[in-house]
Amino acid sequence: MNDAPAPVPIDPARESFLGRASIVWVIPLIALVIALAVAWQSYNDRGPLIAVQFENGAGIASGQTELRFRDVTVGVVETMSFAEGLDGVIAQIRLEKEIAEFVDAGASFWVVRPELSVQGVSGLDTVLSGIFIEGSWDSEVGPTRTQFKGLETAPLFQPGKDGLQLALRTTPGGSLTDNAPILFRGIEVGRVGPARISREGSFAIAEAIIYEPHGRLITRATRFWDTSGFSVSLGPAGAEVDFSSIASLVGGGLTFDTFVSGGGRVSDGTVFEVYPDQISARNSVFNASETELLELRVIFDENISGLAIGAPVEWSGLRIGSVESLSGIVDADAFGDNRVRLDVVIGIQPARLGLQGEINPERALDFLSTRVGEGLRARLATGSLLTGGLKVELVEVEEPEPAAIIVSPDEIATLPSTDSEISDATATVEGVFTRINSLPIEELLNSAIGFMQSAEAFVSSEALRETPQEVRALLGDMRGIVASEDVQNIPVTLNAALSRIEAILAQIEEGQAVERVVAAIDAATEAAGSVNASVAGVPELIDNLSSVAAKAEAMPLEELTEQLTELLGSADAILSTSAAQDLPASLGAALDELNATLAELREGGAVRNVNATLSSAREAADAVALSSRDLPALVERITEVFDQASRTIEGYNKGDVISRDAQAALRDISQAADALTSLARLLERNPSALIRGR
Amino acid sequence: MERAEQTREVISARDLGVVACTRCLQVWPQGVQTCARCGHKLVQRDLKSLQRVWALWIIGFMCYIPANIYPMLRTRTLFYVQEDTIVGGAIELMHHGSIGVAAIILIASVVIPLAKFMAIAFLAISVTRPSTVSQNQRQLLYEVVEYIGRWSMIDIFVVAILSSLVQLKVLVAINPGLASLFFALSVIFTMLSAQAFDSRMIWDAQQQGKGQKQE
Repeated sequence: MNDAPAPVPIDPARESFLGRASIVWVIPLIALVIALAVAWQSYNDRGPLIAVQFENGAGIASGQTELRFRDVTVGVVETMSFAEGLDGVIAQIRLEKEIAEFVDAGASFWVVRPELSVQGVSGLDTVLSGIFIEGSWDSEVGPTRTQFKGLETAPLFQPGKDGLQLALRTTPGGSLTDNAPILFRGIEVGRVGPARISREGSFAIAEAIIYEPHGRLITRATRFWDTSGFSVSLGPAGAEVDFSSIASLVGGGLTFDTFVSGGGRVSDGTVFEVYPDQISARNSVFNASETELLELRVIFDENISGLAIGAPVEWSGLRIGSVESLSGIVDADAFGDNRVRLDVVIGIQPARLGLQGEINPERALDFLSTRVGEGLRARLATGSLLTGGLKVELVEVEEPEPAAIIVSPDEIATLPSTDSEISDATATVEGVFTRINSLPIEELLNSAIGFMQSAEAFVSSEALRETPQEVRALLGDMRGIVASEDVQNIPVTLNAALSRIEAILAQIEEGQAVERVVAAIDAATEAAGSVNASVAGVPELIDNLSSVAAKAEAMPLEELTEQLTELLGSADAILSTSAAQDLPASLGAALDELNATLAELREGGAVRNVNATLSSAREAADAVALSSRDLPALVERITEVFDQASRTIEGYNKGDVISRDAQAALRDISQAADALTSLARLLERNPSALIRGR
Repeated sequence: MERAEQTREVISARDLGVVACTRCLQVWPQGVQTCARCGHKLVQRDLKSLQRVWALWIIGFMCYIPANIYPMLRTRTLFYVQEDTIVGGAIELMHHGSIGVAAIILIASVVIPLAKFMAIAFLAISVTRPSTVSQNQRQLLYEVVEYIGRWSMIDIFVVAILSSLVQLKVLVAINPGLASLFFALSVIFTMLSAQAFDSRMIWDAQQQGKGQKQE
């Protein structure tokens, strides 16, 4: 290679640019192209920047916090800045290009943070990954927008979660648990969003969503109630604590049920009331305003007080509505006179009519029109007997005058009315009271008072007060007469007289003057028979007489005579009393003769004067027989007694017990005297009975 | 200066009419096109060397820019994800007090690559125009650049080792960032750029100057 030519100087002729350029330049060119392409692509792929304003920027980091849609990152927060006026923070979010066009005016943004609540844990992934911003928008391209206002919490209605959108409202004075699940049969089928208080503050209202496919569970007749808290009830089965679940006990919750059928499907935006418990919810089906009221106007001819706004409107005893307004109406053109009529507007709840299918006022009106054609009328009726309040009653009238509901486009339809049926208890009671009131009670009372006063004066008069005393004195006098020794001694005297006769007769027997006596005895027997027949108590008397006679026989005559004298004296005294004045004069004469006889006996020997005595006795006996022929039986018995007495006396003569027996005899005599007392009473009543046999 | 004096007496291979194989260093007479020993193409002077140097230098520098912009290391722990660029990581380390480590990272990842860029650029420029720096120093600079170039890969090694070792599923995971790729490319291209430099040209400039002086 040494023969190689000497090194040539550098060729001055310049090569072409490309010829001189090294192939290696391609590499940086390619790199440049790639870099430019990447840069352009990344710029081109860059989506638009949107600004979302949040209350605060807690956890939002620039360049790191992602914007997610359905949990897929579709953007990143680029910068954080303060809003104008420092009343918020603005996150500038770089959207991805393919999603950007959907982020339109309807988009909403909220920050997803880890949340631990009673219902569970949500957003747990953000604990590790940091919070992210969730976006929600529909799948339709709308007008572009770059300024948004972020929400504090996840919105209830998200395009991703289809469901029936409702509004729940508390009953007046009720309460509502917001941000709570809606449970049905224990399953979460929906959710209540945050509640807000109405402007008047009378109720709270919250949006709620019932997730598909549970929306079909909701009808117009559905009732919601609060299941938060628990109820304690004490009953016969013991104490009962009732709550639906621990979660709803602590965090609250709502549930619902459809108690009656017939409510149609509801559309989004329907407002439901939330009741405090199931019972009130159930009750509300029957007394709450389910649908729009059907207002009807009724003109009553009578203008009767007692009907008030809110008074019930009943049909067959079932309340179907209430009185909405009341006014008087004078319309000469319509009614023909100038009387004031009662113009009542009633509100009828169509749901209470029990119509099937869709329930609305129009259908209710159609239904009522048909019934009016069949005789349905409105009338006033007594609502309450106590208060006299009235109600409006819909009744079907038999053979009605043809009428119809007058429907005019601008006014409320008018329902025909009929005669009122008012059981006017008030009027009746009033009438009764009026009648009572008109009674002359005062006059009556005045008369009564006058009478009482007179009576009092009469009773308290001296004369009347003395009357009892006089009566008592009179009675005392009478008692004195009756109880006077004289009167009482009449029988005793009589008895003594008889005893003396007995003794005389015994002496006659003793003096063997039997044959003389026989006639007397016969007469006496006759008299005694009469007496026996007429006087029942005679036997006892006879017994006494017999014993007396026996004793008399045993007694010394002197003493006997003395006793007889005393007795006769007494008898004389008795017979001389005014009470014995009626005794027959013959008896008196006989006694006088007896007296005389006894006087003779006292003066001289008994036997000597016996004849005279016996004759006197016979005369006396005759007189007695004359006056008392009915005594023969008595005399007969006396005879028997005399026999017995004589035997007894004979027996007594043997012993020295006479005095004792005499005492007994005296007792017997007193017994006989007692018997005679009764006889004397008889005689007192009718002194002539003994003698006359009557 | 002493060395500079010595260099003046250096006689280039071209002056002697030989050409050395740049691969196996076998010396061949001028005019031989291919090294008979190793088959390498024999050139007196690589005329397009500078172009390659510059081209690769540019690519390397282009790669160095994203290598510093994008995160080098992506550390994901249980609670957060941290992405650090080279400089950002070093500064953070410094804030944590690890100034030594930060210095190493800064030197290995920033100072040395930048110095390399400058050195290569300086060498490439210096061969085309008169330079105040002596040829011997430039030769030394070139050797240092070529030697030290591979050590810039230490960052990539650290990232690679961390990424492969720290993979504890959820708890913590370290992944290489985009910058590591660019940094590696940058190092590779700067090494290639340095290799592409024909160090013989350092001496040519002297000879040219000498020749011009002689003429």
